[in-house]
Amino acid sequence: MHFVIQREQFVHSVQHVNKAVSSRTTIPILTGIKIDTSSEGVTLTGSDSDISIESFIPKTDEENEYVDIKETGSIVLQARFFADIVKKLPGDEIEISVQDQFATTLRSGSVVFNLNGLDPEEYPRLPKLEENQTFSLPQNLLKDMIRQTVFAVSTQETRPVLTGVNFENDKEQLTCTATDSHRLAMRTVATETDNDELSISNVVIPGKSLSELRQILEDTNDHVQIVVTDSQVLFKFKHLLFFSRLLDGKYPVTNNMIPEQSKTTMELSTKDLLHSLERALLLSKEAKNNVINFKTLEGSVIEINSVSAEVGKVTEKITCQSLEGEDLRISFNGKNIIDALKVIDSEFVHITFTGAMSPFVIRPGDHNQMLHLFSPVRTY
Amino acid sequence: MNGHDWNGKIIFHVDMNSFYASVESNHDPSLAGKPLAIAGNPKQRKGIVVTASYEAREYGVKTTMPVWQALKKCPNLIIRPPDFTKYRAASAELFHFLEEYTDLVEPVSIDEGYMDVTSNFKKRNVLHMAEEIQNRLYKELGLPSSIGIAPGKFLAKMASDMKKPLGITVLRKRELSQKLWPLPVEDMHGIGMKTADKLKQWDIYTIGDLAAYSVDSLKGRFGVMGKKLYERANGIDYRIVDPEAAKEVKSVGSSTTMSADVNQKQELLNVISMLSEKVEARLKHKQVCSDNFQITIRYSDRKTITRSRKLLNPIFTKEEIKTQAVELLERYWNGESVRLLGITGLEVIPIADAYKQLDLFSYKKDIKEAKLSATMSQLTNKYGNHILKKGHNHTDS
Repeated sequence: MHFVIQREQFVHSVQHVNKAVSSRTTIPILTGIKIDTSSEGVTLTGSDSDISIESFIPKTDEENEYVDIKETGSIVLQARFFADIVKKLPGDEIEISVQDQFATTLRSGSVVFNLNGLDPEEYPRLPKLEENQTFSLPQNLLKDMIRQTVFAVSTQETRPVLTGVNFENDKEQLTCTATDSHRLAMRTVATETDNDELSISNVVIPGKSLSELRQILEDTNDHVQIVVTDSQVLFKFKHLLFFSRLLDGKYPVTNNMIPEQSKTTMELSTKDLLHSLERALLLSKEAKNNVINFKTLEGSVIEINSVSAEVGKVTEKITCQSLEGEDLRISFNGKNIIDALKVIDSEFVHITFTGAMSPFVIRPGDHNQMLHLFSPVRTY
Repeated sequence: MNGHDWNGKIIFHVDMNSFYASVESNHDPSLAGKPLAIAGNPKQRKGIVVTASYEAREYGVKTTMPVWQALKKCPNLIIRPPDFTKYRAASAELFHFLEEYTDLVEPVSIDEGYMDVTSNFKKRNVLHMAEEIQNRLYKELGLPSSIGIAPGKFLAKMASDMKKPLGITVLRKRELSQKLWPLPVEDMHGIGMKTADKLKQWDIYTIGDLAAYSVDSLKGRFGVMGKKLYERANGIDYRIVDPEAAKEVKSVGSSTTMSADVNQKQELLNVISMLSEKVEARLKHKQVCSDNFQITIRYSDRKTITRSRKLLNPIFTKEEIKTQAVELLERYWNGESVRLLGITGLEVIPIADAYKQLDLFSYKKDIKEAKLSATMSQLTNKYGNHILKKGHNHTDS
């Protein structure tokens, strides 16, 4: 194998595939990045067996020539070193050539690195997926969906299926749900598909995969194709494939968890509430429980307070746009509410309470594509 | 007092007078000088007085008195519900203040503590220092207090009780026969009604009777505690003032040594059930819970392991404690013969400060459970059981 490649393109691709590489893998070859060259261009692959990323750099596109391929072939190089090395090489181009015994030479400017490579034949092949269940979304929309749900996944392995985000569709409506059983985030979007029989349910993508994917997604309307099978999901970009394993197990039914009635409802400024909770959390963080007390007062006013036995207490009043229904006193984990408010892009939020010990719902004021559900904390 | 030829210790016991009532009137100056009572549930006439201001006491209002009775004694009595957040903040301020004088401050409860001022004694007159502390507590923090000064913790505690409010009492060892020994034995700190009754059966009516009794008989009847009581009555008390002591009361547990080494799992599980019950009772008695439970396993070769696990929510029922202990046992017991088993709740927190994060999938269970316990506490409120116990604990605050 022997080729010369534009450094910037190459670094960009290496960084993408490197996101999938884990130093803690049980399969030694997966600590490396695989490089394949064909007559069309260079393909890079990284994987930790849960996530696999394949990035392709074409020989040329409409405008530029990226790679000069002198000889096709494959090599696997230790990701830990290789990713750092290519980032720090000085020249605009990098020349890579493989000799006997996988000995690899990197040249850039006046720098020469000689690296010991690994046998590319040992590298596992990426799955070939059946493309029956396919739909597409604009990259920026998918990025938003991930941002608005993934923070709510569980970090506990006690119920593994909750460490992922559940994808489900009803015709062209796609719903993503994440919950750690104390809070739940749900986001709905319209999808585009040619397949009338698109049926996605119990597709649970690990939160970690989505967090990595989010870093690859760009703020553009360009679509990404999504292919779903029983055990894998594939996100297809123009020059990049992102595979993730799906989580086993049945995701709990969450639709019926959203309360339909309400006892107390209010609408108030997202920022006012967010900032107030952040202040209150300064003290409850000290108490290590993040508990914030919340109550309704006369005249559309709510009061937020938190207490730390050692430090002191804080009380704050907020005037709501509207406040209706029963008087309420409730305590909750302020950190969870803050997480949700940060991903709500609307100026106002609508909050529906159903009692001091029952779940409550926060929705954006101007659309119904998103909701956040929380269970309160109980005091004794 | 003169510090030059002194080689013992000087201990202060600083005890706030009507602490809750003082704190309330600091927050609301309109209450100052008026008869005020802090009562469990002021709306219900059946609530019980937890603390009364001295103005209220003059009318005969007493701790543990039902509100209706207190109102009969003092018709213009002002009644407030307790606000422990306020009291804890004031308490923290109080101990910070005392630490200005010495690092050796040991909080005993929310409103009393010991100070070891032996090193101050070398430099200045500690009686003047006590006066200064009392004056400043009153002027700067608005807290009236009584201070007992003695060569040990027990005598200092007894001394601070001798003159209230705003008293300073020095209790020297050579004064025990006049000042301490004539007191009835139930006035002795550490002796409850039950112990007092038992002592009376032995014709021990005063602290002096106790001090003169045979230490061996006391030890025979009451064990280690008997010996301690005897020593205290004689002014012997080597306990040091330990600033960390309050923090150390952080675990509550129970353990048992088997009559024979056990290697049958079912038998160990039975022991765990029994221990869980005991731990539940002890947690309940101290009004605390824990989110971190530990088991101790001592094998027959004396090798001992402790394993613990942190939980999301604090627990206090025997069922929950048992579940945790069984999981730890199943995970860490190596199958060999066990000599001792123990369960301990670490880093306990007062139930009043405990929170439980409800679960979206199972919160309905908690609603049911809360309704049940609300009914239960209404019942205890009605009969004053729970509050009575509390009132007795801080007899005179």
